[in-house]
Amino acid sequence: MSLTTLAALLVWGTLVGVDLVTVPQMMIARPLVAGTVAGLLLGDVETGLRVGVVLELFQFDVLPVGAARYPEYGPATIAAVALAHGMGGMPALGIGAGVGLALAVVGGISLHWLRTVNTRVVRKASVALEAGHPGALARVHAGGVLRDVARAGAITILGLAVATLGTRLGAGSLPAPVLVATNVAVCGVALATGGTGLLRLVERTKLRWLAAGLAAGLGLIWVA
Amino acid sequence: MGGVKPPLGAAFLRLFMVQCSWNYERLVGIGMGVAEEPLLRHLRGAPDNGASYRAAVARGARFFNAHPYLCGLAVGATARAEHDGMPPAQIERLRAALIGPLGSLGDRLVWAGWLPFLAGAALAGIALGAGWIAVATFLGIYNLGHVALRWWALRAGWRAGSDVTGALRDPVLQGSLGLVGPAMAFAVGTALPLVVRWLAGPLPGANVLVLLAVAAAGAGALRLKPGLFTGPRLGLAAVLAAVVVGALWR
Repeated sequence: MSLTTLAALLVWGTLVGVDLVTVPQMMIARPLVAGTVAGLLLGDVETGLRVGVVLELFQFDVLPVGAARYPEYGPATIAAVALAHGMGGMPALGIGAGVGLALAVVGGISLHWLRTVNTRVVRKASVALEAGHPGALARVHAGGVLRDVARAGAITILGLAVATLGTRLGAGSLPAPVLVATNVAVCGVALATGGTGLLRLVERTKLRWLAAGLAAGLGLIWVA
Repeated sequence: MGGVKPPLGAAFLRLFMVQCSWNYERLVGIGMGVAEEPLLRHLRGAPDNGASYRAAVARGARFFNAHPYLCGLAVGATARAEHDGMPPAQIERLRAALIGPLGSLGDRLVWAGWLPFLAGAALAGIALGAGWIAVATFLGIYNLGHVALRWWALRAGWRAGSDVTGALRDPVLQGSLGLVGPAMAFAVGTALPLVVRWLAGPLPGANVLVLLAVAAAGAGALRLKPGLFTGPRLGLAAVLAAVVVGALWR
């Protein structure tokens, strides 16, 4: 991986990390999008798509309501794609996605940290905020953006460091049975997580639509 | 607002940043205050030397929580109420009354509707060979709805003012709610078998059966013990177990 590619992935990872909550929530933080663009940057769209789809299934289990805590899959997906690509692409999907899952958990912890720091800043500025000073409001808000940019950048750097280290330490020479077993494991759990998460979203009254969709999907498989 | 044109554009752009200072004390309150501030600037010209403006800014930045795409409805409605001279206590009550409905509506319409509907359609597209074009289409169509919803919310809030509950009964909004649930269920239903086949495609022989067994066991664990098992925990445990099994298999 060249320095230019690493820099592009770092910028992309930071944008993706900031998109999740801070701005503008246009869903580039979805693993499907983050992974595909990472694949494009690495010249390996297929690996980007595969890792993106697997982690997207995990993302389906997340409902970001209120103060809920959840893993952050965006920057993690970029690192997962970089690692899988460095290890030879699609055969290393399981190892890449596995490392992505660990990084997603770390990303989730960093989001909680950011919110805790934001809370401290808001408490400190409460007198000015209650006095209705627009300058204080703008400062608190801008500080939140800068902290999230720093957080997202740091998580992406960590992920890319893990991916680079993994590639250099020879993870690419892992035996084939390990690669196949990890692919099966991670894809199986991804399907379980995605299926369970989606079932939770479908209201009882809409189950017939789900059944109709399943029939359509099976029909498409039969036709294709 | 007698003839004054409200700076809805400035408030609209700021609404994209409504969660920038999300915190456990005021949640999106600070972002709401930042977005509402341009709509309150006319109050600076009041004869009270800006006191009503500052009081309105302070009120706008207090605790608030809602779906981020629908925060504009509350921003518009409360800013309009400030301009119409509604008593502060009533404005506070209006804000508080909007938290539940805007959260619930946004979750049903976007998080449990529009987003999984399009994500499901994108997954099906990828599984059928559309590749990155499916992803680009997902992003484009999703954001058409996203931006339109944010703009509608702000305008509807400003137009309705204290009668904002009427805006929530908008026939287009209610019609969308009725459509998006079945569409989402159908799209994810279609995607699931296609994705299973797509993921299983490159796996050699009997591994497909193992994949299905892992998926079934994983789904059982997640349904029966949701507190103990989460997707990432289960995934990490399965990858570690697979490394051990794969190494022994050698």
